Amino acid sequence: MPVRSAIVLAAGEGKRLRPLTRHRPKPMLPAGTKPILEHVFDELIDAGIEEVTVVVGYGRSAVQSHFGSSYRNVPIEYVVQENQLGSGHALAVAAATVDERTLVVNGDQLVDRQIVGDVITAHEDAPDAVATIGVINHDELSEYGGVIVDADDTVSEIVENPTDDRVYRLNAGVYALESDAIETMTSVEPTAGEFSLTDGLAALVAGSGTVRAAASDGMWIDATYPWDLLEVAEALFETGTVESEIASSARVHETATIVEPAIVAPDCVINAGAVVGPNVCLGQNVTVGANATVGRSVVDADSRLGANATALDCVTGRGVRIGPASTIVGGPGDVRVEASVHRDERLGALIADRTTDEGGVTYAPGTIVGAAATIRAGTTVRGSIDSETEVR
Amino acid sequence: MCGIIGYVGGEDGPDAIDVLLNGLSQLEYRGYDSAGVGLANASLSVHKAEGELSKLRSVLPTESLRGGHTGIGHTRWSTHGPPSNANAHPHTDEDDRVAVVHNGIVENYQALRDELVDAGVSFESETDTEVIPHLIADSLEAGDDPECAFRRAIDRIEGSYAIAAVVDGVDDLFAARNESPLVVGVGDDGHYLASDVPAFIDHTDRVVYVDDGEFVRLSATDYRITDADGTVLEKPVETVDWDAEDTGKSGYDHYMLKEIHEQPTALRQCLRGRVDELAGEITLTELSELDHDGPIQFVACGTSYHAALHAATVCRERGLHANAYVASEYAADRIPVGPETLVIGVTQSGETADTLRALREANRAGARTIGVTNTVGSSATRVCDDVLYIRAGPEIGVAATKTFASQQIALTLLAGQLNGGLSYDAIEALRSVPDQVQTVLDTSRAKTVAEELVGSDAFLFIGRGLAYPVALEGALKFKEITYEHAEGFAAGELKHGPLALVTDETPVFAVVTGDGETARKTISNIKEVEARNAPVVVVTDGCSEAERYADYVLEIPETDDIGAAVVANVQLQLVSYWVANRMGRSIDKPRNLAKSVTVD
Repeated sequence: MPVRSAIVLAAGEGKRLRPLTRHRPKPMLPAGTKPILEHVFDELIDAGIEEVTVVVGYGRSAVQSHFGSSYRNVPIEYVVQENQLGSGHALAVAAATVDERTLVVNGDQLVDRQIVGDVITAHEDAPDAVATIGVINHDELSEYGGVIVDADDTVSEIVENPTDDRVYRLNAGVYALESDAIETMTSVEPTAGEFSLTDGLAALVAGSGTVRAAASDGMWIDATYPWDLLEVAEALFETGTVESEIASSARVHETATIVEPAIVAPDCVINAGAVVGPNVCLGQNVTVGANATVGRSVVDADSRLGANATALDCVTGRGVRIGPASTIVGGPGDVRVEASVHRDERLGALIADRTTDEGGVTYAPGTIVGAAATIRAGTTVRGSIDSETEVR
Repeated sequence: MCGIIGYVGGEDGPDAIDVLLNGLSQLEYRGYDSAGVGLANASLSVHKAEGELSKLRSVLPTESLRGGHTGIGHTRWSTHGPPSNANAHPHTDEDDRVAVVHNGIVENYQALRDELVDAGVSFESETDTEVIPHLIADSLEAGDDPECAFRRAIDRIEGSYAIAAVVDGVDDLFAARNESPLVVGVGDDGHYLASDVPAFIDHTDRVVYVDDGEFVRLSATDYRITDADGTVLEKPVETVDWDAEDTGKSGYDHYMLKEIHEQPTALRQCLRGRVDELAGEITLTELSELDHDGPIQFVACGTSYHAALHAATVCRERGLHANAYVASEYAADRIPVGPETLVIGVTQSGETADTLRALREANRAGARTIGVTNTVGSSATRVCDDVLYIRAGPEIGVAATKTFASQQIALTLLAGQLNGGLSYDAIEALRSVPDQVQTVLDTSRAKTVAEELVGSDAFLFIGRGLAYPVALEGALKFKEITYEHAEGFAAGELKHGPLALVTDETPVFAVVTGDGETARKTISNIKEVEARNAPVVVVTDGCSEAERYADYVLEIPETDDIGAAVVANVQLQLVSYWVANRMGRSIDKPRNLAKSVTVD
């Protein structure tokens, strides 16, 4: 029986992506101009998945309203995880809707159809496998799940955030599971109140059934921090996952310049003399003022850049207003998040949903501004600014 | 006003009972007082039940009905006779040879009924519809073939109708239309007809719209549409772009909440390609040259009427001579209308009988007519000279939400166009509305306010200028889904009478935006109710000092008065929703109401 259905886990906020996650979960943050989750759906559907169940929770109306009841003619069922008690719990919540072998995929990381296809094929070709885990080679494993794969492609161990120097593959967050494997995984006792998917997998590996690894060299990208969205966009351009495009409903003045790669989404307006690109993604209904410059930036929907503004290495949330002649000079800079400092990140500024600057504002490299803040005209800002504050 | 469906399939097609029940579930928005089906299998069998479709499902001997491929179905909103099993459709003749479903009103039914009773026919229901099967049976008795008998019966009735009939022993299905919607679906393994496309969209997206005065005969392999003389008509087969899945609840508890959350998307669709901030232009491609300098009349009902009031105010602010009229009062009021008048009918469904009647009168008087609607192929699009689509997408909740917002915006564009365009600032403000609505959806405290105020004696809504239609709409939405007493007033009218209603148990919702004279005057009216200890809820952008007099504040982003009218209304939609939810009301199908009102 082929793998036809998928469960996509999209209920968690993704706290490290704050302040962009104020009203939506990490899967709805823009990879280019589309939500991460939309890319995931595209790859699943291209890999032949015909039914999708999405586990939603934090900021769920953002997911539900974006996709509605179907996406590309594939029906989407929503299952609500009221309290986010971990990815294993999310799977348990969705499991009730599934009575056959299914794919389980993280909704907050980019995977391509190759990984998805490799997992499906490997699972279908291995009648003894109760589960098949997609794995890739990756340098940086300390933040992710490590998988020890034996010579016969069976999984012998799963380790979260491994620090020893054994040979690990990275768990790409794509699983093909038999229904009784889901049962085993979801009956694991919680540790510290959290049901983690990895604990469930570990139980499966320890059990009698065979867990296989499907090695893939497909694309896998995760945004760990909000400024990673810039690298995500660049990677999408480089790999040809997204292509430069100016939507037909966008209005671009004849004297404006678009430097590829760049995406100008529907309803955008680019005024006279503006320069947009390269490596720029403008979400829908973004406005770029006359003679403004935008380079290597992800500007989310409904944001406006005033005339003569400059934005380099910039990530914005939705409905952000960058005033006339404001300057985001670009990275590298030190980024301060709570107690930690990330040195020399290539970030000009990160500005969360519906923050307004009145114009003539200078952003020191690495500045983070929370949501719905107001920055008065002529101010210089640096460091980390809380949501709903006024800077004068 | 009701929904009808009919189906004739081949041996390989789906069972009629499945097609009918599935279709009726998509038509329940048109009425849910009762539902019924009539199947022509070996013999004619009719099943019906008072109440929502689920009641019918629970009493149907579904398995014994399998294998049949011809049938009709009906979901009812009562006009003649209360909701009951007897008054549910289909109706039959005395010998159960003919079953009929009908949407509309037989205006001469009393005369026909008297005549039939005199001839010895006994009636089972109080409906106007029941005369039709008796008339058909009469003609069959006289030796007419089924199609001829159907035509003779239709010839005798006056009024509005979409009618479908099945006859015992005949595989084909007969239908006719006059002033009630009817559309034929052309499938690979059968043919369909219904009041609205979603009823059969699961089976086919190829449709033929039936016009007034036309007859339909469906068989498994063919369909034939004829005029009153029996001449066969060649009508275009259109492909509808309507994803059946759009009509799911997508994880929301109610369609209404889903549709409230769809407003940013709906508004983007409404604006797309129509406003150009670079050139400062509006383009409404559907409309031919809009060079009009005579009076402008908006006609509409219910929520659409509030959008019409909004439009008329926007026009008048720009120096145009414009008024809004309740469509059902339009004729009675003897509003002067002539070739110099532009009459704009606003109807979400495009099938609102009152509005269509007013538009037809305007046509007769020589006025130019524009229909502003959400429904491609609806009657309004054919009655009017021009049509402007609001592009809100399908709305299932009976209480209109996203279609109102889209009407406000589409009508603002139309008003701007009538005045030669909109300013750059106005276009910028319009382009910001979708995100401002999203801001309200992301941050609203309406649920908390609703929980505080639920159980109050009555709920009053006030506003001035463009906030006045918002107050009326806020009150209408509130009463529709909570069943509580709610009234909207022009803020200045409060002191001329309604103030007598105000107590500490009557919350007053005041919409105050900007800091101009309009806001200052409304604040004076707020003080009047505050002095009577009424709980005050202000919906405000924070520009004025209104918050000082408020017990609760529902914030909206700062924008111009047009944008504010759209955004403020969203806060009131949410208040209504959460109060109704708290009270356990049937939010998507409020009692006694239906979505598309195709009777006068």
